[in-house]
Amino acid sequence: MKKMLIVVRREYLDRVKKKSFLIGTILGPILMGLLIFAPALLFKLSPETQTTITVIDLAGDVYAQMETSLADTLDDGTPKFIIREVEVDVTGLEEAKRVLNLEVENDAIDGYVVIPADIPDEGKAVFYGKRIGDIKTLERIERALSNVVIGMRLFSRGLDYSEVKGLVKGVDLETMQVTDKGAEKRGGFDFIFMSSLLFIMMLYMTILMWGVAVQRSIIEEKNNRVIEVLLSSLRPEDLLFGKIFGVGAVGLTQYAIWGLFGTIMTAYGLTMGGPVAELAGNLSFATLGFFILYYVLGFLFYATMFAGIGSVCNTDQEAQQMQTPIVLCLVFTILVPMMVIQRPDSLFATVISLVPFFTPIVMFMRINVLMPPAWQIALSVVIMILAIRFAGKLSARIFRTGILMYGKKPDAREILKWLKRA
Amino acid sequence: MLSIENVTKRYEGHTAVDDFSLTIEPGVIYGLLGPNGAGKTTTIRMAMGIIQPDEGKIEIFGEPLSESLKERIGYLPEERGLYRKMKILDHIIFLAEIKGLSSKTAAERAGRWLERVDLAGWEDKPVEALSKGMQQKIQFVSTIIHEPQMVILDEPFAGLDPINTQLLKDIIVEMKDEGCTVILSTHLMEQVEKLCERICLINRGRKVLEGGLADIKMRFSKNVVSMRFSGDARELEAHPDVEKVSEFGQDLSVTLAEGADPGVMLRHALDGGRVDRFEIGEMSLHDIFIAQVREEGGELDEEDADSGQA
Repeated sequence: MKKMLIVVRREYLDRVKKKSFLIGTILGPILMGLLIFAPALLFKLSPETQTTITVIDLAGDVYAQMETSLADTLDDGTPKFIIREVEVDVTGLEEAKRVLNLEVENDAIDGYVVIPADIPDEGKAVFYGKRIGDIKTLERIERALSNVVIGMRLFSRGLDYSEVKGLVKGVDLETMQVTDKGAEKRGGFDFIFMSSLLFIMMLYMTILMWGVAVQRSIIEEKNNRVIEVLLSSLRPEDLLFGKIFGVGAVGLTQYAIWGLFGTIMTAYGLTMGGPVAELAGNLSFATLGFFILYYVLGFLFYATMFAGIGSVCNTDQEAQQMQTPIVLCLVFTILVPMMVIQRPDSLFATVISLVPFFTPIVMFMRINVLMPPAWQIALSVVIMILAIRFAGKLSARIFRTGILMYGKKPDAREILKWLKRA
Repeated sequence: MLSIENVTKRYEGHTAVDDFSLTIEPGVIYGLLGPNGAGKTTTIRMAMGIIQPDEGKIEIFGEPLSESLKERIGYLPEERGLYRKMKILDHIIFLAEIKGLSSKTAAERAGRWLERVDLAGWEDKPVEALSKGMQQKIQFVSTIIHEPQMVILDEPFAGLDPINTQLLKDIIVEMKDEGCTVILSTHLMEQVEKLCERICLINRGRKVLEGGLADIKMRFSKNVVSMRFSGDARELEAHPDVEKVSEFGQDLSVTLAEGADPGVMLRHALDGGRVDRFEIGEMSLHDIFIAQVREEGGELDEEDADSGQA
């Protein structure tokens, strides 16, 4: 036991001290944060500038309303659009366009809009400009024009635009989740789906990442030939489980750092409002507790199997082929969230959440969506612990023999023999 | 100290160790010698509990190997390595800790030993910054830092230059003087023959010869003496202990009668003239090994028979 702890400490410090751990731990949430916040941030940061446009209104009665509609102002209070009209008729259009094209060319104006006479019927106008990628501005112009034209059409049939707008207003269906104690909880499908998915992806990624790290570390152990020195001091089991616990602790450390980071972000997010605040406001300590519990169980189970694979392989390439079935089990669990989220208490969800390969992710998902009966949670933990012990025993047997085998990779029959012998 | 009784280990297709028995008394330097593939490493691995024998019994300090016993043994395996990225001092402390030393004691002793093997100042360098020979010294230090009562060294000098080989030999002798039992396993028989008091020669998983080095040497010493002698060679030949004298100028090659004592012959020679050189023809361990294997009708791998002083 004491010797195992020495191994745990070595494996732990060895990884935590590595630059790659620091980079991964810090960069991970930063990248994630960037993905969430970047669009909003960029949107906010991109400075809005004045747009100078000219309008050729061949319909004649569109320009005046369009000008009113585009009376937006920038943050500093100046108008967003500087808009003027060039009055020409169809015969002068080509000449006018030639002049305006030159103005666009010389950046005197940002662009010009040609409104054809049949716009109320056809609903088409053309914008000429250099920077036609400024979607935000173009959409704004399009919306203004649409409103004007729709208003004109309604008016021609004797209807009032604002009245019609009021009449066709849709309905928002708000969802309230009724929880166990008859309480109502705000939070729609979107929220449950998104938060479940986020947690599931995290579970999946960390279990896979650190599980494979255990496998790597065992292959490395075979290649650096330290193993025999170690085995003259401690039992193979001390080494195997020391490695698994050491690497698992690294994963927990990473979570702790992310948790701290998250708390700070949440505090900031709450003041900021928006989806982050909603997510943060709905998180409970119970959810986080279950998350850690199922990470630990899932990691121990999968890492133990990855360790067994590492014991019989000499290179990462060899291991990659052998680990495929196990990785597929893990992948399967992230393919079922839709089914489980829709019917978290179905027989399918219940059964699958009690199969060790799938328990960590599926049971956590169920807890997140609709709290299952306590006995099912307890049963899942018991099943996981038994499964871990069983996998641990098998792995230890393979490890004991495989760790000293250099060279040829043993075939399935040989591995079976090791399992029986030990 | 170490007793191996009728131990057999079979691998697919061959028997690595075949009904092998050995008893090693405490406080000696014991040589386990034989060519590559003779079964030395397999025997040692079984003694250390790294692999299990198919048959037979092994006891250390009079009991079967257990976890607590491992702390009283030092083992330098043939397949050895270090964690490349780990700092040297940290590494030695880690290996000492899993032998039951406290990190404080380990750090103190590590400092002393690094000085002894000329690696002071390297404490904070990663292992990979060291040359192979230097790494080997670190491994050696890690093997003995917990002051074991018995050390097993498998090919300890492989890859070392003569200076470092001598350094390790000196340390080994010191350890023996302090009461440690040292088991040396190597295929380079000549390299250790001056170090070992007792030896066991192994070939193809079986014991060829075992005993005190001096006895074995005596048993196998040729009855030929080569000497530089200024005097009457024919008078020497007349001596009853002498069978034949071949003259090469002043250098003589004297064949003694069966069972004759070379000392008696030397005294006789000194009476008749001056002796500048007197050497009893001693067989090298390697030659003894080959002679013994041949005598028993055993098979010998080609290269062993040819390579002489391998």
